[in-house]
Amino acid sequence: MSTATATHPQKQRKTPVQKATRILNPLSERIAPYAYIAPFFIIFIIFGLFPLLFTFYVSLFDWNPIGKQTFVGLANFEQLFADGRFWNALLNTFGIFLISTIPQLILALFLAHLLNHARLRWANFFRMALLVPYITSVAATAIVFAQIFDRNFGLINWVLGLFGLPAVNFLATNYGSWILISTMVMWRWFGYNTLLYLAGLQSMPREMFEAASVDGASSWQQFWHLTIPSLRPIIVFTVIMSTIGGLQIFTEPLLASPESGLTCGAGRQCQTLALFLYEQGFGLFKFGYGSAIGVVLFVIVVLVSLLNFFLSTRTRKAS
Amino acid sequence: MKRSLTAIVATAAALAVALTGCASGGSGTSAGPNAEVSFWSFTGINAKDSVNEYIKKVPDAKVKLTEVGSTTETATALTAALAGGKVPDLVMIQNDDLPKFVENSSNFLDLRKLGGDDIADDYLGWAADAATATDGSVIGIPTDVGGLGFAYRADLFEQAGLPTDPDEVAAMWKDWTSFIAMGEKYTAATGKPFVDNIETSVFFSTVNQVSEKYYSPEGALVYDTNPQVKDAFDIAVKTHDAGISAGIAAWSSGWAPGRANGAFAVTIAPSWILSGIKTDAPDTAGKWRIASVPGVGGNWGGSVIAIPARAEHPEAAWQYIKTMMSAEGQADHFAQSGTFPAAASAVESQAVLDYTDPFFGDSKIGKVMATSVQQFPSFYNGPDTTPINGALLNTLVQLETGGVTSDKAWTTALDTAKQAIGG
Repeated sequence: MSTATATHPQKQRKTPVQKATRILNPLSERIAPYAYIAPFFIIFIIFGLFPLLFTFYVSLFDWNPIGKQTFVGLANFEQLFADGRFWNALLNTFGIFLISTIPQLILALFLAHLLNHARLRWANFFRMALLVPYITSVAATAIVFAQIFDRNFGLINWVLGLFGLPAVNFLATNYGSWILISTMVMWRWFGYNTLLYLAGLQSMPREMFEAASVDGASSWQQFWHLTIPSLRPIIVFTVIMSTIGGLQIFTEPLLASPESGLTCGAGRQCQTLALFLYEQGFGLFKFGYGSAIGVVLFVIVVLVSLLNFFLSTRTRKAS
Repeated sequence: MKRSLTAIVATAAALAVALTGCASGGSGTSAGPNAEVSFWSFTGINAKDSVNEYIKKVPDAKVKLTEVGSTTETATALTAALAGGKVPDLVMIQNDDLPKFVENSSNFLDLRKLGGDDIADDYLGWAADAATATDGSVIGIPTDVGGLGFAYRADLFEQAGLPTDPDEVAAMWKDWTSFIAMGEKYTAATGKPFVDNIETSVFFSTVNQVSEKYYSPEGALVYDTNPQVKDAFDIAVKTHDAGISAGIAAWSSGWAPGRANGAFAVTIAPSWILSGIKTDAPDTAGKWRIASVPGVGGNWGGSVIAIPARAEHPEAAWQYIKTMMSAEGQADHFAQSGTFPAAASAVESQAVLDYTDPFFGDSKIGKVMATSVQQFPSFYNGPDTTPINGALLNTLVQLETGGVTSDKAWTTALDTAKQAIGG
C-alpha cells in the first residue's frame, strides 16, 4: 500500500484536483460550447428557420396580408403547376443560370491561372482590380448595362450599326434578355471566383509549376494537368455556391427593365423564379401564392445542390 | 467558467429583450393635435416643402417625414406595416395602389368620423370615389390628381407642315382617328415616328376615357366583354399598324434620350411628368407645347393621404390633412411643386387656370389639365384593376417589340389578364 503510494505520488496528489474539476465543470463545460454558438442559432431561428417554416404554412392559405386569410390546402401548388408564368420563370432561371455560370467559372479559372504566373508584373494591381465589379453596387451596374444594351441608343447597337447590321432589341427576346442579365451576373461575380481560384493556386507549391516548366510542360499542359486537378475542391465549392446563387437571381432582372415593373420585360422574357415570387408576394400581395413559389424554389435549390454534391463526391471517388 | 456561462446567458437574454423591444418601440410623445406625426410619403413629390409649409402655418406642430421610396415601394412598406408592424400616422397612397387598400378599408380610419360626412364633397368626384369603400367609409383625402395633356415638339411639327399652336393642334386631333391621320402625315413628311409608344401615350389615355372600365359599377369583372375596353385597345393597335410609334416604352433606357433628341414628337404629359421632361431634355426649352389629349378628358396618377386605423396620433394627423388639403393649400402646393390639385375649387381657381411655363412655350398648361380632370369620367376600379391594366399594357409592349402580332394582340391580352388575376 505504501509502496504503491510511493510509486505514484503524482497521481495521488492530482486526484483531488481532478475530482474537483469533474464536479464543478462537467455541466458548464458541456453547455459552454453551445452557449457560445447560441447567439447565431437564436438569430437563425428568428430570421431564418421561423420564416422558412412560416412560408410553408402560408403557402397553404389564400393569404391577404391586410385582409382575410383562408385555408386552401394545396390549391396554390395546383394552380402554380398549371401556371404558364411559373414554367416560363423556371426556364428563364435555368437559362440565365447556365449562360452566366459556365462561361464565368471557365473565365475565372483562366484568369486565375494567368494571375498566378510568376513573371506577371503589377500582379497585385490586377488582383485588386478584379474585385472592383464585386464591390460596385448592383443598381449602378444594372443601369450601365441596360444603357449599353439599349435598342435605340445603346453602345452595342451603335457598333452593330457601324457594320451596317440591324439593331437588336435585347430585352424583347428570351435569349437577348438572358444574355443581358447573364452579362451583369458574370461581371459581378467573375472577379470573386477568380480570387478564390487564385488563393487555391497560391497555396500550391510554386516548385511544382517550375518543375513542370523545366520538364518542358507548356502553359496549357500545366493548366490542364496541374491547375485543374489541384483546384478540384475549390471548383466544387464555387459550382455549388454559384448554383445556389444562380437559381435565386433577383436584383439583376429586377433592375434590367424598370419600365416593365416586376416582370422583366413585357412578355416576362427574363423574369426569374425569385422575381416571380416577389411580383406575386409583394407586388400583388398574394402572400399564399408567393409562398408556394418560395417552397418550390426551395425544393429546387435543395435538389440541384444534392445533385451537385453527389456528382462531386463521385468524381472524387473516381480519382 | 461558471461566470462566463452566466455572462453568456445574460447576453443572450439581453439580446432577446433587445430584439423583442424593437418591435414594440413606443414613442412616448404626448397626444393631441400637436403630437409628433410620423408621415410616410413617396420620393419626388416634394413632401418636404409641404411639411415646411405646414410648420409655418402651425408652428407648434411636429412632423417626422419619411420618404419611403417610389409609390410602389411606399405601398409595399405600408402593407407590411398594416400586416403587423409599426404604422405611420399619415401615409400617401398612389391611385394605382389604392383599390386593394380600399377593399380592406378596416385598416384605415374612416375620415368622416374626424371631418364630418360631407368631407369628400370638396374634391373632384371621381378622385373622392376612388378612396371611398363600398360601405361609404372615406379612407383617404385626394392630395392631387394627374391632370393630363399631350406634350409635342412645335419645331418638329412645323417641319412636318403641321400646325404648331396648341389650340389648333388640339382641334386637329380632336379624336383618335384624326390623331392617327396626323401621325401618318408627320411620319410621311419627316420619316420619323410621331409618338413615343402606344401603351402609355395612347392606350393609357383611351382606356381612361370610358364610362365603365374593367369592372361594372356593381363590381363585376367585365374587362373581357366591355366593348369600350376593346375599342380603347384597338386604337392603340391601329396606331401601331399605322407605323407612327417609336416603340420606346416610358422609363425604358431610350426614353429620356428620345425626349431630348427628337426620336418622337408627341408624348403623354400628366402634370407630374412635366418636370421630368425638363430634366431629361434641357436643350429643348421653348420647343415643347402642351395640348389637350385626343378624345375627351383624362387623368394619370394622383394620390390620396390616409390615416391607418392603428395610428398613434390620429388627431395630429387629421390636423395636418385639414390644414394642407384645403383648396387653398393644394393650390399653393401646385404653384410650388407642380402636383395638380384635387380640390374642386382649387382646380377652378384663377391661379391654377392661368398657370403657364416658358419651357413649354407658355402653353395654357393649367387650363388644359383642369379641363382634363373635370371631364374625367368616374368608373369603378376593383382590386384587380392594376394587374389587368398591366397585362393589357404589356401585351401592347410586346406588339411593339414583335413578340405578338396585331391580329393576336387582343386575345393574347385577355389570356395574360386572365392569368394575372387567377394567379
